[in-house]
Amino acid sequence: MLRGVSPERHLRLSLALLALFLATGLWLEAMIGLRAAGWVDDPLRREFLRLGHAHGGILALLNLGVGLAIERLATPEPWARVIRPAGLCGALLVGFGFIVGGLWHGPTDPGLPVLVVPAGALMLLGAVVCAALVRRGDRRPGPP
Amino acid sequence: MTRWGPALGLFGPALVWVVVVVVGLVRTASDLEAWGPVDRREAAVVGSEACGVCHPAQVASWRQTYHRTMTQPAAGAAVLAPFAGESLVYQGFRATMTRTGFGLPHLRVEAVDGGPPLLDVDVALTVGSHRYQQYVARLDRGGGPGEMWRLPVAWHLGERRWMAMNAAFLEPEGEPGDADDYLRHFGRWNDNCILCHNTQPVPGLVDMAKGTGEAMGFASRVGEFGIACEACHGPAGAHVERQGDPARRLLGGAGDPAVAHPGRLTPGDESGLCGRCHGNRIAADVGAVLREGDGFLPGEPLASVSRPIFADSRVGGSEETPFAARFWPDGTPRLSAYEYQGLLQSPCHQGGAPGGLGCNHCHDMHGDEPDMQVRAGRKRADGCVGCHTQDASHGGHRTVDCQGCHMPRITYGLLEGMISHRVSSPDPGAWVGRHDQPDACTQCHVDRSRRWAAEQLPRLGLAGSRAGEEASEELWAPRVLLDLHGGDPVQRGLAAHALARAEVPVPAAIRLAWLVDALEDGYPAVRWMAWRAMQRLAGPELGGVLADYDPHAEAALRVPAVDALRARLGPGPLTEAQRLALEARQDTTLLSIGE
Repeated sequence: MLRGVSPERHLRLSLALLALFLATGLWLEAMIGLRAAGWVDDPLRREFLRLGHAHGGILALLNLGVGLAIERLATPEPWARVIRPAGLCGALLVGFGFIVGGLWHGPTDPGLPVLVVPAGALMLLGAVVCAALVRRGDRRPGPP
Repeated sequence: MTRWGPALGLFGPALVWVVVVVVGLVRTASDLEAWGPVDRREAAVVGSEACGVCHPAQVASWRQTYHRTMTQPAAGAAVLAPFAGESLVYQGFRATMTRTGFGLPHLRVEAVDGGPPLLDVDVALTVGSHRYQQYVARLDRGGGPGEMWRLPVAWHLGERRWMAMNAAFLEPEGEPGDADDYLRHFGRWNDNCILCHNTQPVPGLVDMAKGTGEAMGFASRVGEFGIACEACHGPAGAHVERQGDPARRLLGGAGDPAVAHPGRLTPGDESGLCGRCHGNRIAADVGAVLREGDGFLPGEPLASVSRPIFADSRVGGSEETPFAARFWPDGTPRLSAYEYQGLLQSPCHQGGAPGGLGCNHCHDMHGDEPDMQVRAGRKRADGCVGCHTQDASHGGHRTVDCQGCHMPRITYGLLEGMISHRVSSPDPGAWVGRHDQPDACTQCHVDRSRRWAAEQLPRLGLAGSRAGEEASEELWAPRVLLDLHGGDPVQRGLAAHALARAEVPVPAAIRLAWLVDALEDGYPAVRWMAWRAMQRLAGPELGGVLADYDPHAEAALRVPAVDALRARLGPGPLTEAQRLALEARQDTTLLSIGE
């Protein structure tokens, strides 16, 4: 589904992600203000929700950067069609991996959902590296 | 490059990660060693630092407690006394506290009138940090190079002064100049203090003569100095090993049976953890305790290795009840370190069954209050309202909470009066005519008799026994004053403590006049408690006179200060004949009770 992400949709989805993770910041701030139980008294949850909020927001910005970069660098479309969904998936998995892992966690460690964070990070890393390395004249993938 | 090259390049590593994670989780989930039962007895002690890697908040809260500083190597900030050349003369001996060239605390004890030193030792360990700090030195007195001894002087933190350990025990003054008497409480650490002041202690009694039994010695060791994580959670080696696998931690959720979690035990078993030290007990196999430790594994019933001492406990088939003096006539413990017994005797405990009262209900080892470690939200009446309906009119006392009447301060320990941990209801009428046990009402209404207290109960809407015939002495003075003069040493100490309580509805000037006589008590510990009580009550105008009084000084040095106080405060309410009659009874109730 995401393979069909157009440049425009990539930028719009990146902005949507940015808005989403900025909104989680409002939520966290409200919990501090209201001294919500399960938040102020749970350092592990607090730490992982913060990680999710911060990573999600920054990685949404990174997606905007990647989107603009591949346009400016005229990255061949076959690569760009993969870079865009990889970047979006990566930001989503990292941000929500932290948040969901922090919401449902064990006594000393985050919950199982945190395991998607490295997967998301690898996708993002791949997206950034490809955006940097693939040149406009690079051969189209597929049989010669 | 194939058509799928870009997709594989970008999503491939993430897919590999997913495969690795799934394989790892499935493998751990099906690994019996990760989930099966563990022989916790064989697990190694890892120490609090290892626990702090995963449980930093819990270790940080524990670090604030007096449990942590129960025993420490005598170095740096652990040593609370100055050891700057102070000296303490007591019973004909002078103790001088200095430091070695390396800064180590050092003690030298010698007779005031000369002769070779009785002791000349470096301090190796400190014990305690709350009320007073005791010191331990390595000294081979026939038990091998590992033998360690509790020294005869301690540093009192509240008064910031040295005191002889003999004076910290509730017993009569010793014989001046008698070295054996002076060293009465020069106790061996290896088979005494080690057990309740350290984590996973092993006294290590060994036969140094290899089978002859003629030279027993000690190769003592502890898992960690002080009461640390594994004192309550058990040895954590197996837990740490298991939890080293991140998949085990992620799949495990809350809890690993490789360690005990007191909050998940029944009230009976979690209280047993505390009862291990806060409830003196008789081991099933004393020899094994001296060799290998007490054998108690947190999470298992304390009764599996020992039985708690009660008033009627017997030892070795004897008909004697050697521990009876540690309890009031109704069986309530009257010394500290019997809190567990008090709980067991309380109806609220319900035999330790789920729903019953356990130590954890009121105390929190990881709370934010190191003093008494009372759980947040369970202070005062809040500890009771979870089970008992809060009724503002109950008891008719506006300024007294549940604890004041149902857990009265009738326990002696560490030169203080402490609350009883046997939850009970006062019935002063039943004890009219008796002089052998204090009651909740008159410990607070220090100007009243027990008959008066009994008569007030119906007025307050409370049930109680009808007051019986009063003994003639009960007409002379309030109950507490009779105890202060004629009670046994525990009663005298507790009476002095009661007279200084802030909530007592009697002017301080009157209470001060009553306390003066106790400054001449035959027991130094009682004199100390009376002196401290007067310090709490006295205004600045008495401060100088009280400063001239030393409860541990020889009688000839104490008398002028007592006379000066009596002249300032006036006589007590008892006639000379009454006072002598009560004091005569003291002699028949002599008892020697430890800390």
